[in-house]
Amino acid sequence: MSAVPSLARWRDAAPALFLAVLVAVITVATPDFAQPGNLLGVLADTATLFVLAAGMTFVILIGGIDLAAHTIASLSSVVVALLLPTLGYGAFPVALAVGFASGLFSGVVHVRLHVPSFIATLATSGVVSGVALLVSDARTISIDAAGRSQLAWITGSVAGVPAVVLIAAAVFLACAFVQRFTRFGRRSLAIGAGEPAAWASGIRVGRQKIIAFALCGTLAALAGALLAGRLSAGTPVLGNQLLLPAIASVIVGGTAITGGAGGIGRTLIGALIITVVRIGMTFVGVNIFAQQVVFGLVLIAAVAVTIDRTKIPIVK
Amino acid sequence: MSLATTSANHGERLRSRLRKTAPLLVLVGLCILIGVTSPNFLSLPNGIRVLTAASIPMVLALGATFVILVGGIDLSVEGNIALSAIVLSLVLSGPLGTLGLWAVPLAILAGAAMGAANGAAHVGLRIPSFMVTLGTWFVGLGLGTVLLGGGTIRIVEPSIRALSLTRFVGLPLLVWIAAAALLVAWVLQARTRFGRHVYAVGGAEDLAALSGIRVGRIKVLVFILAGAFYGLAAVMSAAQIGQGNAAVGDGRLFTTITAVVVGGTSLAGGDGGVIETAIGVLIVAVLANGMILLGIPPYVQQAVQGLMIIAAVAISIDHRLFRIVK
Repeated sequence: MSAVPSLARWRDAAPALFLAVLVAVITVATPDFAQPGNLLGVLADTATLFVLAAGMTFVILIGGIDLAAHTIASLSSVVVALLLPTLGYGAFPVALAVGFASGLFSGVVHVRLHVPSFIATLATSGVVSGVALLVSDARTISIDAAGRSQLAWITGSVAGVPAVVLIAAAVFLACAFVQRFTRFGRRSLAIGAGEPAAWASGIRVGRQKIIAFALCGTLAALAGALLAGRLSAGTPVLGNQLLLPAIASVIVGGTAITGGAGGIGRTLIGALIITVVRIGMTFVGVNIFAQQVVFGLVLIAAVAVTIDRTKIPIVK
Repeated sequence: MSLATTSANHGERLRSRLRKTAPLLVLVGLCILIGVTSPNFLSLPNGIRVLTAASIPMVLALGATFVILVGGIDLSVEGNIALSAIVLSLVLSGPLGTLGLWAVPLAILAGAAMGAANGAAHVGLRIPSFMVTLGTWFVGLGLGTVLLGGGTIRIVEPSIRALSLTRFVGLPLLVWIAAAALLVAWVLQARTRFGRHVYAVGGAEDLAALSGIRVGRIKVLVFILAGAFYGLAAVMSAAQIGQGNAAVGDGRLFTTITAVVVGGTSLAGGDGGVIETAIGVLIVAVLANGMILLGIPPYVQQAVQGLMIIAAVAISIDHRLFRIVK
């Protein structure tokens, strides 16, 4: 045991430390930030991003990427807005099923047709957003007052805690359980850590990958439903601003795009960092477009720090 | 050599030849199919319309072809177009407005600079190209919008508008620019050392490095070249719609990648080229035109292009090789 923590240990703890420093700095600058009510607001703002990033985590853990998640969220918001008047609560399971099917499609194309995941999901994003534009006729579909009563589980609050925060907490617990206590979770880590070894030890690699994409699609659909609830509308381009922050949340939290290292707890920290940075930038007066520049650069920097270069002798 | 292996080789060669000619057959088949269902398709004005619609995707796809030939990918197309188009419109509306056509090289330079940033980050930090360019996609969009303050600028400069409005031998100048770009790209690919090195790097990067090719330099050059082509395409887009804003590039990434892979250039690198890409661009343009003639809603196009990407990549990937696909 050395007194000085190793570089790897330091890198493990860095995201949490960074978050703590950020919160401390903002609290000193604006003491109101640390008010319980305001902190709950920050959590509520993080909830949708976290749910989307949670699904993305499973895909990145196996060494893949999903560039379709934001379009699945958009499609889901449209499905919810369209079906809520006729199906009531039934609209939500349908939206989740659509997300599951879209994720499954990405996964099957990637695994069975041997198409690299970034291109398989890019193609899927085209198909899914095409469908979203078609069923919505390229319009925003608002949810009227009658439908809003069925959104109470998203917009309401329990004992002062916004419902979206509780939903996100439930998603976190479920994902942590899946990752730690199910065969899928452990096999995913094994695949990300070393695919040939996982394959040789009898893991059906393809099936685990498809499950990861289907799970990502389902959670993306949940994120879309939450957004539709908070905005009382479904839009075919609703999720477009979410892809970059979602991937950035996973990577900034410390999950490497090479797979195998990281997990849902890190993504939670990553999503909080992204939200707090955004709040901080808005406070300082950085406009929303410049924020996009910052997130793009942060993504590249975080990938550069977390990537395991021994796994990719030739970087393409 | 036994008879069996020769015939296997023969079958393999036949298959690969079929795969090489398939895009051309698809293009001809599409033209016949659409021509039969909608007689307007084969008229001269419609032919000109298809070529005009294909001109900007052509320039974009030519640039992307080189990146894909070295085995990389460039997702920053839309960000690059936004940045370059906004640089163009700002130069024209500012104190340098008298530059006229001389603003075009500045826009191309902006595109090339962004390509250089892509290449430097990819090679220098050793990060996969799709991740770097995913980041710079949004950096470009954001930078462009910040420069512009969020609005849009009309381009009234007649020499720029003329690129889209003037015709030469019956065809808009945009089509001639695209044809010239194709010629330049072909010369670079087939007649220069740079072109041969691109194939060497894409075919087997480790062998290329061992045989003395400066792989990193070739990759950076490829991204700069691609950026310059996107910059040119940004000028063409701005000339066509008469304004510069962050939305000029919307939807272009998809068409670009579809055209390159449908033409038959392999995402694995080292296989394909600009002639293949030209055929791919025409396939995409003919299909889009046909769908309009047949009255299919425009949103379906993106979905169809998505399916075309999947089909083209799935067919071109060599299933005999056991390798890890990520």
